[in-house]
Amino acid sequence: MSVRERLPGGSVLPAGRAEQALLVGGLCILVAAVFLLTPLSATIPGALYVFFEVGILFVIYGLLVLGLDLQYGHTGLVNFGHVVFFAVGAYAVAMLSAEGSFEGVALGYPWMFALVVGVVAAAVLGAVVGATSLRLRDDFLAIVTLATAEIFHTLFVNFRGVFGGNVGILGVPQPVADLAADSDTSLVATLLLFGGVTALTLGMLTRLTDAPYGRVLRAIRADELVTRSVGKSTFRYKMQAFVYGAALAGFAGGLFALYNGAVAPGFFTIQVTVTVWIGMLLGGASNHRAVLAGLAIIMGLRLVSRFALDVSPVAADAFASVRLIVVGLILVLVIRYRPAGIWGDERELGVES
Amino acid sequence: MGVAQNVVFGLVTGSYIAIAAIGFTLIYGIVNMINFAYGEYLTIGAFIGILTVGVLPLPLPVAAVVAMVGGGLVSLLLARVFFTPINQTGPVPMLLTSIGLGLALRNGIRLTAGRGSRYFDTETATLRFDGLPALSVGPVDLLGDVFVTSEQLVVVGCAVGVFVVVHTLLTRTDVGIAMRAMGDDESLARVRGIDTQRIRDNVWVLAGVLAALAGVLLGIQTNVSAGTGFSQILQILSAAILGGAGSPYGAIAGAYVIGLVLALSTVFLPTGMTGLSSAIAFLILIGVLLVKPSGLAGREVREA
Repeated sequence: MSVRERLPGGSVLPAGRAEQALLVGGLCILVAAVFLLTPLSATIPGALYVFFEVGILFVIYGLLVLGLDLQYGHTGLVNFGHVVFFAVGAYAVAMLSAEGSFEGVALGYPWMFALVVGVVAAAVLGAVVGATSLRLRDDFLAIVTLATAEIFHTLFVNFRGVFGGNVGILGVPQPVADLAADSDTSLVATLLLFGGVTALTLGMLTRLTDAPYGRVLRAIRADELVTRSVGKSTFRYKMQAFVYGAALAGFAGGLFALYNGAVAPGFFTIQVTVTVWIGMLLGGASNHRAVLAGLAIIMGLRLVSRFALDVSPVAADAFASVRLIVVGLILVLVIRYRPAGIWGDERELGVES
Repeated sequence: MGVAQNVVFGLVTGSYIAIAAIGFTLIYGIVNMINFAYGEYLTIGAFIGILTVGVLPLPLPVAAVVAMVGGGLVSLLLARVFFTPINQTGPVPMLLTSIGLGLALRNGIRLTAGRGSRYFDTETATLRFDGLPALSVGPVDLLGDVFVTSEQLVVVGCAVGVFVVVHTLLTRTDVGIAMRAMGDDESLARVRGIDTQRIRDNVWVLAGVLAALAGVLLGIQTNVSAGTGFSQILQILSAAILGGAGSPYGAIAGAYVIGLVLALSTVFLPTGMTGLSSAIAFLILIGVLLVKPSGLAGREVREA
């Protein structure tokens, strides 16, 4: 066994997977561009609409889960307010780029500029939260981040003049829909484009965490004191991981705003954080592909319940409750019986099942 | 409305938060977990009470006792099934388990009890103090007319009763002293022959009883629906951490601070922004964790 393999977390993924993801991402974006820039158009059969809608949401949440996995899976930072960075990115993009919103700020700047500012805004918030709270014990970091998310949620609801209250910001430009020939083509192109972006992110993050840099992050999770004692500035690494994750969430928020054409507090509840966390734990934290697969399972439940709804006599909101009960119990069962997740490495995570 | 009236509201809010926060903080101190499902315990208690009043025509005080017994049993059962088996895994897995359990419980309640809100039908007597002179500072009236309803007196009275009982329990009984010993140092407590698992069970029962009482009081004072507990959990948690997680006395103080801040912020905030009061409670929480993480009384939560 070589030295490299014996190091904790020597290599999670065999070389080449990062390149695969980058390749797939690039191809997806190319195909999306073909759909958008040529008169080529797609038609989606009625029954499949829901797959595309959930699929787009999945790739956007995919960015969230990748960022969270960098924070929790690799570095061990228990961020339970991940939705706040998503929301800040989305609101920043919406307020800067929207034109003629019903209520709230709408500045009408170009969307590309807005997207950059959205990412920066989320990163700055991440830096502020990180600088103040990353020294807290794990479970208290969870509480601070959760409280931060709740504070921002309250701000969004209450400052109607700025954030548009419960209605949110309307009239956000939808660049993909504007370019596409019709709404079906726009859905297909959006899924390909965002899916490509998520795949590219997966590739880049895999590169990052396969590098010695990722090894330091995993060492911090395993034992911060030891890592510090070999001369690593652990706080700086934790801070970087936290800010990267926050910026990625802000980017996801920006994409969401530009796809959805509107943002409202209802899109950014604690439910988003819970979904992403459960997806990550189910798949297996610290394995980028696994967390995406776990998230796919959890979000796939939405599809199952959508179709089961058609054949069952129960009311829709009763069905939503049943789905959430199942999701909650999955979380409980995963932590109890497979603490490393389905595809996670138990030895790597230092947990016993 | 004057400041004095809001102080009354604040004391009432603080009272039921305090009752719940004692239970929350005992779980934190002795089982060593943040129980995010704890809000649901309030909801369960309140619904047991409402069911008792509705199905069996029992008077409200009896129903409250039934709810407390039921709440204690439910809490013990949930702990035995969900938390005791993973006691050794550390705080984060237990926190996550409680989040999953909370999600399942909340929706289970919603499924069985529906979305509507319920309340206890009580006769209300209102005590008015109208003669107070206005003492205005700027736009804010410091005194003004004050009223207190009998329901509010019941809530505050129950809280004071709970404080006395919990204090007596913790200082005068073997179980309570064992609880405090475990909160200080579990291994040392075990060495001294304390059956730590039995004490943990006792803490779960006590926490469930307190949560159920807080839930019933919420139902008397306002109303309860499936989402009630969840909307209270962050305030309970803020109170417990503000007071120094693990310390029941700190939790009481923290609860009244939170209650008063929530009520008074409605006086000082411009109209239309009163929804911000909960954000202010969380700001206090974050501030406390950053400046004095050990809270008003309690232990260190900072690692490095």
